[in-house]
Amino acid sequence: MKTRNVSILLALVFVIASVAFASEIPSPAIGSRIEEFSLPDVNGTERSLKSLAGKNGTVLLFIAVQCPVSNAYNERMEQLAQEYKAKGIAVVGINSNVAEDAAAVKAHAAEHKLSFPILKDPGNKVADKLGASVTPEAYFLDTNNRLLYHGRIDNSRNAARVETSDLRNALDAALSGKPVEKTEAKAFGCTIKRG
Amino acid sequence: MHYQTGLSMRRLQLFVLIIFCVLLASLAAPAQKRKYSAEKTPKIVVEPIDTDALKTLLTQQRQQPLLVNFWATFCDPCRDEFPDLVKIDKDFRPQSLEFVTVSLDDVSDIKTSVPEFLGSMKATMPAYLLDASDPEPAINLVDPKWRGDLPATFLYNEKGEIVYKHIGRVDTAELRAEIQKLVKKGDGQ
Repeated sequence: MKTRNVSILLALVFVIASVAFASEIPSPAIGSRIEEFSLPDVNGTERSLKSLAGKNGTVLLFIAVQCPVSNAYNERMEQLAQEYKAKGIAVVGINSNVAEDAAAVKAHAAEHKLSFPILKDPGNKVADKLGASVTPEAYFLDTNNRLLYHGRIDNSRNAARVETSDLRNALDAALSGKPVEKTEAKAFGCTIKRG
Repeated sequence: MHYQTGLSMRRLQLFVLIIFCVLLASLAAPAQKRKYSAEKTPKIVVEPIDTDALKTLLTQQRQQPLLVNFWATFCDPCRDEFPDLVKIDKDFRPQSLEFVTVSLDDVSDIKTSVPEFLGSMKATMPAYLLDASDPEPAINLVDPKWRGDLPATFLYNEKGEIVYKHIGRVDTAELRAEIQKLVKKGDGQ
């Protein structure tokens, strides 16, 4: 009985700790190196970060199927992917929402004509590793997987009110060999639904 | 014959009068019901608030503590916790707690989904929607450590200082205990 009570108490502590951890997972510091990882794409094929990386860097975009904020960026994300693919920067989408399965992510990408690869993150392992909390949320890595920029794509979900394109500014600075001026900007969107 | 005709006429008049009264009563009843319904679910007006006005609202000295909940209709935990917040408002407003909500929905939702949701929750606290093309300065002025995750709940004392904050779905018992420390009297239960 005593052992059972202790087990219940420990389980409770673990659950509380998990919830607290999930709500405030720290992100890697700017300049730190992101570890190699691999995740399945929407067809179930395992894809490594290395195999998807661009020759001049990689943008990891945490996105969602049902989040209206993420969806407000669909067109801008696709445009960004097309534009910077030509400049050697790859855009990779990651869906970490537990309730959105690979089939839903695939259908959503087809519906919104998202041509960049989108990976499914079961158990939100990569989201936890990067401290991603919302969608959309961007991470820009250089060719050595060092984090150059983390945060929002731009200042407004409403494309007509965009005044500061923080992610683009970071990409352009890196492409021209200059340091990224604004390395972090708070991402705003829907909370990632963790499993 | 003439007498009978007169009697019938009076009966007819009485009948018409009764019908008229019944009709009048049936028309009046729904009007009262409509008025009652309107009182039960008042029209929700959501006011736009820009970053400067938000700063003034949060930092000014006041006579009573202030509870601010940042939320959005697209945020599931925000929607989940709203009934608890409405109850907190109902319980603590008589004890001089000022409670406002600030929606971070798009400004195009100010007359549609935001008031519709608040109406469905019977939320009568003052409701604002952040009207800023860039939410970052507003998020930073509230709390530089807050990343903008929703929901986010902040409790201010009379001096405009944050005395309690919670990011994520609020712990109702914890929030009530914190409010209780600030309000003047009553049990708030």
